[in-house]
Amino acid sequence: MTDAFILFGIFVQPLLIAIMALFILGEQGDGAVIFIVVGSGLTGLWDSVLFQSGNSITRERWTGTLEALVGMPTPLAVIVFGKNLAFVTQALSSMIVAYSFASIIFGYPLSIESPTLFVISVVVTVLSLVCLGLVLATLFVLNPDVQRWQNGLEFPVFILAGFLFPIAILPQWTTPLSYVLAPYWAAVALHMSSSGKPDILEIILPWAMMALLGVLYLFLAFWLFRKMLFKARVDATLSGQ
Amino acid sequence: MSKVIANIRLFFQGAVLSYIALFAWLRPSTYIATKVVGPLAQILFFTLMGKFGTSGESADFYIIGNAIQITALSGIYGVTFSLAGDRWNGTLPYLFGTPANRMTMFLGRAVIHIIDGMFGVLIGFAWGVTLLGLDLSNTDPWALLLVIAVTTFSTSGLGLLLGSLSLITRNVMFINNTAYFLLLVLSGSNIAIDRLPPALQAVSNVLPLTRGIASARAIIDGATFREVRPAMLEEIGIGIIYIVCGYVLFRWIEVLARRRGTLEAM
Repeated sequence: MTDAFILFGIFVQPLLIAIMALFILGEQGDGAVIFIVVGSGLTGLWDSVLFQSGNSITRERWTGTLEALVGMPTPLAVIVFGKNLAFVTQALSSMIVAYSFASIIFGYPLSIESPTLFVISVVVTVLSLVCLGLVLATLFVLNPDVQRWQNGLEFPVFILAGFLFPIAILPQWTTPLSYVLAPYWAAVALHMSSSGKPDILEIILPWAMMALLGVLYLFLAFWLFRKMLFKARVDATLSGQ
Repeated sequence: MSKVIANIRLFFQGAVLSYIALFAWLRPSTYIATKVVGPLAQILFFTLMGKFGTSGESADFYIIGNAIQITALSGIYGVTFSLAGDRWNGTLPYLFGTPANRMTMFLGRAVIHIIDGMFGVLIGFAWGVTLLGLDLSNTDPWALLLVIAVTTFSTSGLGLLLGSLSLITRNVMFINNTAYFLLLVLSGSNIAIDRLPPALQAVSNVLPLTRGIASARAIIDGATFREVRPAMLEEIGIGIIYIVCGYVLFRWIEVLARRRGTLEAM
């Protein structure tokens, strides 16, 4: 059976956010529309990371398949990485839906200004978000108190990552928080390459930051994986809640 | 007389127990994340987008719209889950097996969520005043409270209808989420109603919240309750229509379930 919750996160919510943003921001001219399409698509990507990748281990636990996965010769981290890669790649369709909607229904002429840079940005974005998803997945299992904040983490990242408005309008003390979030650098790279023709040297910074954060997330995730599996074996809670 | 007392007891017991059952698994951190921090983030997101945008609406437009719309957290999610919970937890057959008055049982599911929803809106306004400088100096607080109460009631009416739907579908989260976000688009919380296409304005006109949000803006702007009374009467009427539709669906599902021998009406 299709999980309608996923359909909502990938298609319906980004679309409705795009519609609202078109009304709120659209009067800035046609140039704002591609910004809105990319920004609302990013909300779908983040929802996928937060709710699908974040629950990727918890769900195995609920369905009683985690023990079998841990017992396999393939490391659990590799399996979860593959799952998260599928989730985030699938969520890219939110951008396509928002693009089609703005283009067909609203009739806006849409074009990606730097297609090659945009495609590279998408690839780097996906990989860095998958790494972030690994951290969330292990954190949510290790500390249920963190998972209780899952719903509450949705909009704050929309804000801090500057999906639909620049972080320059936020108080200055929030800037470091934005800088440690891969979604922020993803938004910078995708907005830059879709709305303009950036110099290669300009766009290398967000790519490098995503790569750096991705590696850091990966190290953190592998440490958390070891900790989680050790704790689950000691407490015999692999299949527990 | 004893029947009336029994129904009153059923109403309040059902109200309290369904709320406790829904939130039994919660810890204060979940409540704070969902009902305190989440609404703040929603208000901030749309207010900041509005500030960045050039639609001509003031920051107060988004603060008030979203603060009132937050009532849908309780009105839509809370009420729906109170009804759907009976299905998930396997208590639906017992519910339909009792001789208890159905209307009392049905309405009881919404009561605590109305109170909780009003509290949520007040939290939203508190954020608006303390963090975003919402000015309530021209506001009649009792009139605003009354508007919040009426709007929460009508939104819970929609919640009862969606809750009845949750007895015949597994995709309750999809329905709830879609309803919540459609209200964000169509109720006037983030887009002025007169900017919507005529067809969507017609939809907006039959939704709860639309009149509540407009009335709250008017009250905060200095209007008296007398001025928004017609809109509030309409809002109550809309709430009652949704409740009646929800109740009819609830009874129909019960009949269907009995006839088919599938008390989950699948």
